[in-house]
Amino acid sequence: MNDEVRVTVTVNGRRREARVEPRRLLVDFLRHDLGLTGTHIGCEQGVCGACTVLLDGRTARSCLHFAVAVDGSDIRTVEDLASLDELHPIQEMFHRKHALQCGFCTPGFLLTTVELLERTAEPDEGAIREALMNNVCRCTGYANIVDAVAEAAVELRRRKPA
Amino acid sequence: MKPAPFSFVAPESLDEVVQALAEHGDDAQILAGGQSLVPLMNLRLARPEVVVSINRCHELDYIRLVDDRLVVGALVRQIDAETSPLVQAECPLLAKALPHVGLPATRNRGTVCGSLAHCDPLAELPAVALALDAELVLTSAAGERRVPADDFFLTEMTTCIEPGEVVAAVALARQDPSERSALHEVSNGGHAFPVGGVALRWATVDGVCTMARIAAFGVGSVAQRLGDAEKALVGSDLGPEAIAAAVAAARAEVNPTGDIHADADYRRHLVGVLLERGLLEGEAP
Amino acid sequence: MSSDTQGAVGQSVLRREDEYLLRGQGRFVDDLPTPLNTLHLAFVLSPYAHARISEIDASEALALDGVVDVLTGADLAAMVKPIAAQIELPGYSFNTRDVLAADEVRFAGEAVAVVVAESQYLAEDGAELVQVDYEPLPVVTDIAEATDPAAPQVNPTVPGNVYFEGRFATEGVAAGFEAAAHVIAEDFNSNRVTAVPIEPRGCLAVPEQPANLVFYSSTQIHHLLRTALAEFLDVAESTLRVVVPDVGGGFGIKAALYPEEFVCAALALRLRRPVKWIQDRYGALLTDVHARDNHYRVEAAIDDDGIVLALRAEIRTNGGAYSALPFGCTLETTGGARMIVGPYRITEYEYTATAVATHTAPVLAYRGVAQPVCFMAIEGIMDRIARRLGLDPAEVRLRNMVPTAELPWTNIVGVRYDTGSFVESLELAMEMAGYDEFRASQAQGRLVDGKYRGIGICSFTEVSGTGAPGWRARGLTRLPGFDSGTVKVEPTGKVTAFVSHAHSGQGHFTTFAQVVADALGAQLEDVTVVEGDTAAGPYGTNTFASRSAVTGGGALIRASEKARLKLARIAAFMLESTPEDIVVSDGRMHVAGVPSRALSFQEVAETAYAMNTSDLPEGESFGVEETDFYDPPLVTMANATHIAQVAVDAADGTVDIEGYVVVHDCGRVINPMIVDGQVMGGVAQGIGEALMEEFVYDPDGGVRTATLMDYLLPSSVDVPNYQIAHIESPSIDTVGGFKGVGEGGLIGAVAALVNAVADALSDLGVNVNTKPLRPALLSRLIREAGG
Repeated sequence: MNDEVRVTVTVNGRRREARVEPRRLLVDFLRHDLGLTGTHIGCEQGVCGACTVLLDGRTARSCLHFAVAVDGSDIRTVEDLASLDELHPIQEMFHRKHALQCGFCTPGFLLTTVELLERTAEPDEGAIREALMNNVCRCTGYANIVDAVAEAAVELRRRKPA
Repeated sequence: MKPAPFSFVAPESLDEVVQALAEHGDDAQILAGGQSLVPLMNLRLARPEVVVSINRCHELDYIRLVDDRLVVGALVRQIDAETSPLVQAECPLLAKALPHVGLPATRNRGTVCGSLAHCDPLAELPAVALALDAELVLTSAAGERRVPADDFFLTEMTTCIEPGEVVAAVALARQDPSERSALHEVSNGGHAFPVGGVALRWATVDGVCTMARIAAFGVGSVAQRLGDAEKALVGSDLGPEAIAAAVAAARAEVNPTGDIHADADYRRHLVGVLLERGLLEGEAP
Repeated sequence: MSSDTQGAVGQSVLRREDEYLLRGQGRFVDDLPTPLNTLHLAFVLSPYAHARISEIDASEALALDGVVDVLTGADLAAMVKPIAAQIELPGYSFNTRDVLAADEVRFAGEAVAVVVAESQYLAEDGAELVQVDYEPLPVVTDIAEATDPAAPQVNPTVPGNVYFEGRFATEGVAAGFEAAAHVIAEDFNSNRVTAVPIEPRGCLAVPEQPANLVFYSSTQIHHLLRTALAEFLDVAESTLRVVVPDVGGGFGIKAALYPEEFVCAALALRLRRPVKWIQDRYGALLTDVHARDNHYRVEAAIDDDGIVLALRAEIRTNGGAYSALPFGCTLETTGGARMIVGPYRITEYEYTATAVATHTAPVLAYRGVAQPVCFMAIEGIMDRIARRLGLDPAEVRLRNMVPTAELPWTNIVGVRYDTGSFVESLELAMEMAGYDEFRASQAQGRLVDGKYRGIGICSFTEVSGTGAPGWRARGLTRLPGFDSGTVKVEPTGKVTAFVSHAHSGQGHFTTFAQVVADALGAQLEDVTVVEGDTAAGPYGTNTFASRSAVTGGGALIRASEKARLKLARIAAFMLESTPEDIVVSDGRMHVAGVPSRALSFQEVAETAYAMNTSDLPEGESFGVEETDFYDPPLVTMANATHIAQVAVDAADGTVDIEGYVVVHDCGRVINPMIVDGQVMGGVAQGIGEALMEEFVYDPDGGVRTATLMDYLLPSSVDVPNYQIAHIESPSIDTVGGFKGVGEGGLIGAVAALVNAVADALSDLGVNVNTKPLRPALLSRLIREAGG
């Protein structure tokens, strides 16, 4: 039962191959096998969203997926958002709006925001709050996160060629 | 917490899935979206020997019209059903219900059929299936059988799925364009499961109610069709007296239990509140 | 000599800790690189609240490939002494805890064995295979039942399940009640909650020279942890180094010392291998310290004008099964008793405050400690006075408050309020909330469009920055009070500031740099802050109870001033001037009135480090590295007013928060943006506590809320937009004028929301004296009242 099986996934644009136990959670695979520790574990019960990644372009709880079960998928983690020189506009707005305190939940919020703004270029406050239900923050009281997402939407629209 | 060890197979066709189920019997567990199963496996409250993933069975990823029914395959993610023009046109009640299911990230992965098979008493979709006269398509090595939703959901986390069977699809009644439908629920907080909810659809001709389907969730061990409330509405003018009669009937026919989130009396009260809210606020599709 | 640099403090400087956290480069304890030979721990937790352990059979677990060892209570007893909080209060029942229960478990979740394995998965496999035979014993979990003579004894050294009973009375209390025109009495019940930082606890112990053990922990109290490890493991403190990496929220529950930390350290020393333990959420809910399981009975004697003549409080707090380190089970008990008088002129006061033992998780610090409950009580009494006399609740508060003109004021239990703005904060909050207009709109009835609308106030004092005398007054004689700062000007003129705090999201790397830049006269970007490492900088009391701005800020200001004096002495010598004539500004020093006679920090520092040809003045030592300590007064008292507007759905009992105003006064503000962040985060937690969160035990002590599906946290749709304003009444008792701000958001929100809901339902005559105020409860109250 513990026999390891081969997994091949694309993570942040790079093809990664490994042999893992079937029960290995995607989040442990990312964190401990690939060293991508920006994705965090907060509950392993599917509630808190600290482990959120983009799985084939959509937010997913990496604690609720087995690495073997997403074989062949495309995965994007928080480490892929910024360039060496520049934060992603969403990250920049989180910084400017003080939308993080301890920062543990933040990677999940960022990926939720990426998905929201890809689906909805001009979300209103209600849509932002609905989308942010994906994640729990215990530090900020959410208001600055809501502001940061709204500002990031404006910035992304501004940058998008007409 | 980490799951207990298991073996993993990911067949690429429904035939292979039922073969794997036939081979492993009770030890096997279907994995679709996994959004209800994996939390239980992480807590080691579920510990299957063999996990049979259907995520490679692309043949199960379809939404199509078959005669008078909208058929949703076992690999259709909740988000895809929610945004499907076909679902929005043919089963607006399902489209209205899906935004209430889980959280955005779990809807991205969780499937419509998986939620039905999981049969959580707090879940919206079993009630929606009841209200939409659904038939569950169960496939095994022995073939296929179709089970009406009324017979499918037995009790908490228990359906009539036999070992060796997989839910291959759910076939829902197409809603008439003149129908109205609504889903209302109350929870103790944004992330919380509902403590009670009602899914309903109804039709009127010349101001007289000609059809009503009402199902409640979160108020008992399993989603429940509210037949007495339906009877109170059909033939009525849906005026205040008829609504009051339906509310009273609904409260009389549920048998809720209390838990740490809400007491039984509240849930009984809530069923009536939400039914009334639905009837007054349900928008035309 | 003077510093001209003013301007860093008071600015909303953006945080320097953000970028690496946003890039996913934070280093939380589970993110730290671990040596390949690291061992992992899983604890076997008792499902029973009270049971005798008759046998533990680990043979199956030990047979599992990858399991290195399984240890039980007896094994650990040989390695770790029983741990105990030291509390010196008359009548306190001293009690100890084995780091693994050896004979008897006393709460559900108490660890009885630990599995050591090559991976976390394998450790959990092993834990599942450890067979424990329990003999269940009678259980008591309820605060009222604990002291019933028939109740089972929780702890052998705690007779009658009373950890502690404190009494206090002024002479005129009885006379006050005799003279009273009215007596307002009420019972207030509070839900058991826990902090739930999104990062669970964890630690990594690495045997490593030159210390014998480097111990990484998600703790808020690294110095206190190191001392305790030394004491209970009986190893030389100097051979231990405790390092706090990034911490994913603490909120007080990481200011406790936990058995897992002692076990992890002991096993690393014993096995001579790195040992890691990362808590899961199930374990976190069961074993993190809990809070707020309190009962208050409050009676106020008032005159016809609503003035409180005398106050009686009978406080019972549930301390859980053990008195947890370092603050002990009396933290909420003495806290509530001492803080309930708040901003009011209470001149006659009597309390009885009791901490009881039950078969539940130990209770210790969670943001606000006793204050969310004691202000729910006293602010609830203020509203009841108003209802009884037909007065406005705000007016009753204003009549009873200590006016600013009478500050400093020493309250009835001896706590000094040096400065503050009780009246002003209430008046400003009322203006921002449109209070008078809201009241006018209520004149037509509170039920509009199916919703009962209400408004609630909490005006309160907020304990912060407690010094040694403050802890001693509460029996915590082994809790120091002071913190330390070291300011080092490097040879290049850049500044490293060490402070005895440890962050868990507060923004210390930014705010302490602001404090040092101004006090030293350095440029903000030249100051780097180092903290959370017992090998970097001297001892301190660390980070909890809204301390860091007061104690760390004060220590850093003192150390900065010493360093600035030294720089000035050297600069004066180099510029052939006198130290008194040297002006320090923006990282440069010049002779007063002659800006051209100037030196950079680097030029002066090179002299200090003998890296140029200049001489040091006679008698001056090398280097620029100055340390100082700061112990604040008894208590540093901040204050605030919260006003909440709510709508309670008449049909389903749900609560919408339609408006939320905070006016906060934490003295001199270091960084307004960060202060606002602390307030908003606290309010959200207060919303959780008031409306949804509750940790529930079965009558037999089993846990009903072991997942986040059952223990509910507020989400983005549960919180309102907040309106926040500040009044700055700088402390005249603290260095820097700072007061704390960490807890007020939560404290004020609880009472403001409870009072708002009570106000909304007041036409129905229902009594709202408990929390959480969930839909089922409110709906029942409404239905019972015929609403």
